[in-house]
Amino acid sequence: MALLEIQDISISFGGVHALRNVSFTVEKGQLAAVIGPNGAGKTSLLNCISGFYKPTQGKVLFQGEDITPLPPFKVAQKGVARTFQNVELFSNMNVIDNLLLGRHNYFKGGYVRNALLGYRSKDESRERRRVEEIIDFLEMEQWRKHLVSDLPYGIQKRVELGRALAQEPSLLLLDEPMAGMNLEETEDIARFILDVHQELGTTIVMIEHDMAVVMDISQHIGVLDFGEKIADGPPEKIQNDPEVQKAYLGENYEAIRRGEAR
Amino acid sequence: MRTDTLPHLFLEKVHRFGDRVALREKDLGLWQEISWNNYARHVRHFALGLTQLGVHHGDHVSIFGNNKPEWLYADLAIQSIGGIAVGIYPTNPSAEAKYVIEHSDSRIVVCDDQEQVDKVLEIKHELPLLEKIIVMDMKGLRNYNEPCIMSFEAVEELGETVDQAEPHKYDELLDSIRPEDVAIMVYTSGTTGPPKGAMISHDNVIQLIKGQTQVLPQSEEDEVVSYLPLCHVAERMMSVFMPLGSGSTVNFAESVDTVVLAMREIMPTFYLAVPRIWEKMMASIQIKMKDATPIKKKIYHLALPWGQAMAETRLAGRPIPLGLRLKYGLANLLVLRALRKELGLSRVRIALSGAAPISPEVIKFFHGLGIEVLEGWGMTEETGIATFNHPGEVKLGSVGRPIPGVELKIAEDGEILLKCPHIFVGYWKNPEATAETIQNGWLHTGDVGEIDAEGRLSITDRKKEIIITSGGKNISPSELENRLKCSPYINEAVVIGDQRKFLSALIQIEYDNVAKWAQEKRLAFTTFRSLVQMDEVKKLISDEVENANGDFSQVERIKKFTLLEKELDHDDGEVTATLKLRRREVNKKFADLIESMYQEAS
Repeated sequence: MALLEIQDISISFGGVHALRNVSFTVEKGQLAAVIGPNGAGKTSLLNCISGFYKPTQGKVLFQGEDITPLPPFKVAQKGVARTFQNVELFSNMNVIDNLLLGRHNYFKGGYVRNALLGYRSKDESRERRRVEEIIDFLEMEQWRKHLVSDLPYGIQKRVELGRALAQEPSLLLLDEPMAGMNLEETEDIARFILDVHQELGTTIVMIEHDMAVVMDISQHIGVLDFGEKIADGPPEKIQNDPEVQKAYLGENYEAIRRGEAR
Repeated sequence: MRTDTLPHLFLEKVHRFGDRVALREKDLGLWQEISWNNYARHVRHFALGLTQLGVHHGDHVSIFGNNKPEWLYADLAIQSIGGIAVGIYPTNPSAEAKYVIEHSDSRIVVCDDQEQVDKVLEIKHELPLLEKIIVMDMKGLRNYNEPCIMSFEAVEELGETVDQAEPHKYDELLDSIRPEDVAIMVYTSGTTGPPKGAMISHDNVIQLIKGQTQVLPQSEEDEVVSYLPLCHVAERMMSVFMPLGSGSTVNFAESVDTVVLAMREIMPTFYLAVPRIWEKMMASIQIKMKDATPIKKKIYHLALPWGQAMAETRLAGRPIPLGLRLKYGLANLLVLRALRKELGLSRVRIALSGAAPISPEVIKFFHGLGIEVLEGWGMTEETGIATFNHPGEVKLGSVGRPIPGVELKIAEDGEILLKCPHIFVGYWKNPEATAETIQNGWLHTGDVGEIDAEGRLSITDRKKEIIITSGGKNISPSELENRLKCSPYINEAVVIGDQRKFLSALIQIEYDNVAKWAQEKRLAFTTFRSLVQMDEVKKLISDEVENANGDFSQVERIKKFTLLEKELDHDDGEVTATLKLRRREVNKKFADLIESMYQEAS
């Protein structure tokens, strides 16, 4: 059984068909990517998985269970975590607090108990340790107590990845993790994504514009164009698919293959 | 009990201090303590593990990575079996790492993490002798299909099994080490030519410890933060030699980026920094004060001159008037105490500066803050430290008096010659260079200097770096350069003028501070280059240069300068791993820039 099975989903906003009969399967342990030109429906697809959008047709199966009707927080509780294209963090809180919030599903006590016990609660120290492990994993030690709003954009994205990891997800959805980053930051994030995949064994679905990175690190790629899936397969197959070249990679294709265009 | 080699001295401390804390490492946000017993167990097991990998008495093993406890375990373990530990700068690009691994005939490299492993794998096919890469942190490496990679823990486990089967083996290995055996090899960073491997014996280190403890006493109460590259003899002295001599505690930050934080938390009592770091600290305070609230700024500008006045009076050895005493007390209460705390230096008992000449301005600044920075001088070839300014008798511009056991002499050409019981064994595979450096028992230091009536040494410059202008004037470029580098806006300066009519300089701006300055002035820029190209920035630096020129005589002034449009980089071979200028490289690389400064003039 596949970890994630998207079965024939469609969604439209007014007259626009954001997704039309899209099916996509992600096996457990895979590092998959979804690519496509702007407006192809990539983020809509991610939103359908995480429960933000309800597809008008079709089903999303996670670990064999239909999660289509579930609200986003229920989907999150099932083990699906995500990051957003534009960083969505509590910018006036520090890194540790943002990560601790990612752990809220693991706090056993309710609102009142946590408010009363505060730092003395056992939950707090246990969860704080988990947060420290993530800080160590993503090498964020120097920013622990910094407000998120004071951090450079590239680091904010890393914090967001950390917040998603704090949920200990079995499926991690990344919406353009490299968008707006410089070369060095891109390399860093790509290495962390690989580390998450290899060390933690997390299944990852990522949407990304940076073709060089997608081709380099993903194992399975789906291609969307105008809301429809036009190809699906390993990077080598996608690279040589004429449909894909025409739709997405365009004239720059040769340059991309040489790794020049970004 | 023997204490004539480093591993024996180590065991003596283990017996004495047992469960007392020897090392501290910040992990997952908490300081984890490692006792002397625990430290010894790691060393013992890693050493026995190495024997199983075929390391024998006299073999070289390289260590390539950032400072962490495992670095020290590996260092002492290698020495315990009579091997020779060779450190490699963690910032070394793979070509330079290859030089050291190859030249030292290392069959094993102990790496810190994936970054270093990748560098070694890149060059592995050119290193036929290399058999194993031992890795301290296996993160990201589990999927590497390289049979030569082995984790640090696995080697320790291997050693533990050996220990159970042959409990006396470790002691037997230790018995076979002699004091005259080479313990470590330090590759001198080489501002000219390829690096040379300086062989340092156990006895060298033991003699150095003997000499320096008489004038730089340490105890088990002392705290040290290990942060400079451990392959450099200065940090080895702070993190290994001195603690083995005294039992002081060594602390490791989580990463290079969190050293400042770690300093604040640990507040070391014994601290050594290179001039570059003192300069940075000074700039950071100056810049922070520009950002402070008006009241804070006012108090700072009121209090700092009092501190400076106190420092000047003390340095001059004059009696301190009561008024100044009161003012200083107030300054200390209001500002200086807080600044020392900010720097993590509020408990510091001994603060040393070494490895390169420091500007007197910087020393005076810190004395004004109430931190008595003591400039010292030493060389790898004499195991680390030869002279330093003793507390209470600092003389600006001097590197102080020799430590016990060190004898100094100035040769006819001005070169400083040195004799002591800790002169190194020689350069590995380079008897010619050894013979040139040690002549009739005197170490030829390559530094030019003078000794004053009180026996204090002052260094004029490196013998090879003295500039002689076409007017015939001998000029020491480093003195000028250090004065320029006092500016918070100047990171690096290269003074040029050998056989030229006047002096000029290539200047690299301190990017962070100049960028901040430009932002405040609302000047738009995108990159390092576009920042440098702005006329306003040229004007800013020009004022700084003029300011520095005021301290020098007419012929010693910088008449022209050019701002470098890129940062000098270790990767590009322009500076060494310790950020020392490779003058020849820089002169060659920027020859066009230099020529144009002199052409316009004529």
